[in-house]
Amino acid sequence: MNVEKGSVLIEVQGLEKAFGDNQVLDGITTDIHQGEVVVVIGPSGSGKSTFLRSLNLLETPTGGRILFEGTDITDPKVDINKHRQKIGMVFQQFNLFPHKTVKENIMMAPVKLKLMTQEEASRRAEELLARIGLPEKADTYPDMLSGGQKQRVAIARALAMNPDVMLFDEPTSALDPEMVGEVLELMKELARSGMTMVVVTHEMGFAREVGTRVIFIDDGKIQEENEPAEFFANPKNPRLRDFLSKVL
Amino acid sequence: MNFLTASFADDFYLNFIKDDRYLWLVDGLKTTLIITILASLLGIVIGFLVAIIRSTYDKTGRPKLLNAICVVYLTVIRGTPSMIQLLIVNYVIFASVNLNKILVGTIAFGINSGAYVAEIVRSGIMSVDKGQTEAGRSLGLNFKQTMSMIVMPQAFKNVLPALVNELIVLLKETSIIGYIGMMDLTKGAMLIQSRTYNAFMPLIAAALIYLAIVMLLSFLMTRLERRLRKNERREG
Repeated sequence: MNVEKGSVLIEVQGLEKAFGDNQVLDGITTDIHQGEVVVVIGPSGSGKSTFLRSLNLLETPTGGRILFEGTDITDPKVDINKHRQKIGMVFQQFNLFPHKTVKENIMMAPVKLKLMTQEEASRRAEELLARIGLPEKADTYPDMLSGGQKQRVAIARALAMNPDVMLFDEPTSALDPEMVGEVLELMKELARSGMTMVVVTHEMGFAREVGTRVIFIDDGKIQEENEPAEFFANPKNPRLRDFLSKVL
Repeated sequence: MNFLTASFADDFYLNFIKDDRYLWLVDGLKTTLIITILASLLGIVIGFLVAIIRSTYDKTGRPKLLNAICVVYLTVIRGTPSMIQLLIVNYVIFASVNLNKILVGTIAFGINSGAYVAEIVRSGIMSVDKGQTEAGRSLGLNFKQTMSMIVMPQAFKNVLPALVNELIVLLKETSIIGYIGMMDLTKGAMLIQSRTYNAFMPLIAAALIYLAIVMLLSFLMTRLERRLRKNERREG
């Protein structure tokens, strides 16, 4: 996919999601541009994870539209699997496949989806393992890795598909404090390499340092969005001010 | 003491050696094993199909009709005694066809076992964390690929002990097949008893043979389980 830098990658238009009577997302509209690192913050239960999970339709929206690279992926006639190949996702709980080795975890999808041959995928996996600093773990099973290592492998697994955008759902929240750094470091490296990223996180340092834009979601709505310096220095929304006073 | 051993040897001779009566146990055991193996294979095929249909329905709301058929099947089979099912298959369904009794037994016990296998496998599928499916789907794998490559291998490993247990139950359940006129291990023992008027020897012998097979199965299962669990152990 050759999209010029800065063009719109994902258009979110009036996104709504309700679980029964519970309106979790209440009309979210925003554009994600090529090369952006959008950090989404908000109190728990604000809908920020649901928003992220809607972007690759792990949650089916109950209203609004999401255009990914110009295609409305909320249209039931669209083959969502095709588009998900281009949207990498990293989960809070890693969700590595425990019955596969680290290398098999990385190779599985590209080979199964016939995007790469076994050999190409193997080479790609080795490259990625070198990039995340775990070349010696190729034949290890996930359960033998530390939390930080697991999350780095999960990032490599998503990268193996050569995605156009990476979604991170609280990638460091399940980690012991001493392992948060290694994962954030890898994410920073990824951001510097120009990857478009949408990151739900509580790591305000990451938002400030790497983010190109910060979005504050509460009550299922975007309450405020801005570039990080301004966002943290001059929060306008009272709820955001209240939230920041608690987390900073 | 001498008298006791002498009497044991006499009984043993009378029940097993004389007129080659042990052959009834051997032939009966063959039937028991053949029916158990064939029925368990049929049960596994039915069970996996039903489990996949049921869990697909649980996750996607389709296929409605097939799921309804599966629910009826599970309710009827688990709600009636296997003996009645065997008699119905033999005397009602295949009443007018002259079908090989091994086949009748296989069908009756296979259909019965399938219902239990289905619920075991379904519980295995449910035991796999939702995040595994989400990870598979987020990579662009479709539902089928995610099920077959990610969910089912883990589900199978989780339910292996329960499946072997079902095999053990099935093996013992086949002892009612004498009711449709087949000679299995149990019926063989009863035939010896009817000739020798001695209940102890043939029945204990049959019980020990069942026990030995069950213990062998449990032993094999433990070893297999240990092999499958290898990748879950941490180093050191």
